[in-house]
Amino acid sequence: MTNILLIIFIISLLYFAIANRLMTYVKIIALQGVILFGVAFIELLEINVINLILILLETIIVKAVMIPAFMSYVIRKNKITREAEPFLPNFLSLIIVTGIIIGTFIIASFIDDPNLHKIYFVTALSALFCGFFFISSRRKIITHVICYVIIENGVVILSLAVGNEMPMLVNLGILLDVFVSVFLLGIFINKIGDVMGEGDVGSLNRLKD
Amino acid sequence: MISFGLIFFVSLFFTGIVSKTKSLLSGRKGPGLMQPLKDIIRLFRKRSIFSETTSIIFQIAPSISFASVLMAVMVLPLGHSQGLLSFEGDFVFFAYVLAAGKFFSILAALDTGSSFEGMGASRESLFSMLAEPAFFILMGSFGLMTGYTSFHKIFLALHFGSYISYALGVIAMFVLVMICMVENSRMPIDDPKTHLELTMVHEVMILDNSGFDLGLISYTTMLKFSMYGSLIANLFLGDSPLYGTIPAFLGIQFLFAVLAGALESFSARFRMSHNAQFILVLSSLSLLVLFGVLVMLGRFN
Repeated sequence: MTNILLIIFIISLLYFAIANRLMTYVKIIALQGVILFGVAFIELLEINVINLILILLETIIVKAVMIPAFMSYVIRKNKITREAEPFLPNFLSLIIVTGIIIGTFIIASFIDDPNLHKIYFVTALSALFCGFFFISSRRKIITHVICYVIIENGVVILSLAVGNEMPMLVNLGILLDVFVSVFLLGIFINKIGDVMGEGDVGSLNRLKD
Repeated sequence: MISFGLIFFVSLFFTGIVSKTKSLLSGRKGPGLMQPLKDIIRLFRKRSIFSETTSIIFQIAPSISFASVLMAVMVLPLGHSQGLLSFEGDFVFFAYVLAAGKFFSILAALDTGSSFEGMGASRESLFSMLAEPAFFILMGSFGLMTGYTSFHKIFLALHFGSYISYALGVIAMFVLVMICMVENSRMPIDDPKTHLELTMVHEVMILDNSGFDLGLISYTTMLKFSMYGSLIANLFLGDSPLYGTIPAFLGIQFLFAVLAGALESFSARFRMSHNAQFILVLSSLSLLVLFGVLVMLGRFN
């Protein structure tokens, strides 16, 4: 069952590569939050109840509801245009994402560790690399935040693979990380929106003393 | 042998069911189930007219593409009973005999010297080229999963047991349906009802064909549809006995036709520049099927 969820997660990365609208990106983030909830629910049943409840609440409330809602609020508030406007054509980014997934599979098959859950490793690593790639290929600041959340999701999947031995602190750290980054960047966008009109990375080139 | 006959039988009604579904879903009564067949029979009675600029290629191309589809239908099995032809590696034969037929129809389109037809031929070859890796990765991963390389043995040995195999089955069915839509130039990729040459893909290639040849091309399309439908049906049939297989086969073909009609009624056509990336997504998805198979086999854990 977790395998199916992780496959859907990888498909969502492919969909992210060819989607055009910002709202689609936000919906993909929400879907990934739900998938993480499912994986955590199936995988972590053996740890103690409070920790489990905390992790489940974090995934379903924070990752699947609050962050997407906050992002769509930011998008509406700052009147950011609905198109994502990547630097690369979607076709190329699809090829690159497929290449990343193949590459992580090859890397994972080289690492011959019996303690390693390879499918988790592949999903997490491809989410990480895809997140970095999306950050470098998208124009707007809000998409950088969205892609940062994808990277966070990858880290969470990797920590779910260690599963039942995972200390609570790791998870809290991740939660805090997401909170801080999203809120900081949200405020950042608010400020920049006042000065420059739209959160376009290209216009940062015009900054002077 | 049985599959050959059944695919023929289904192909007579397939386009009729698709167009009936489309008209029912848009609130019209629509033509009868036999109307496409009647049109084809009417075309068969007519004489072909050939442009003076065309060569012999243009005249033989429709027959060759029909023959190639016929050859491809021959290798398809049905449950226990194998196709007319069955040998190791016949799915490679299946793909490339279809490609040979397509190659000749592209040559014929170029032969007319019309700029529109050249454009359509270029698009059609690009889309088939992009759809090919998806089909091969999919069939290759089924071959890996079962350990056989012919359609008959692969589909006999294919059975869904664990959770992950259901997910793979869904993805595989999606990929096959979409490959079918691409190869038949249907809705998300190409609109068969369009009237502007600039936006056509397949229809523009056959603008110069008339009479018997046009009828043959239309029938080839119907046969191709039911051929892919039987490929999808085989995915689910497994090795049940014959009295169970035939109704299941007919039912799946009917569902597939209704699905194709619904897909055409409810989906808008992609912009031409989006087609390539959409077809490439199919390859990426079939790659996921391959990795899923590796996970299932325990080669990758």
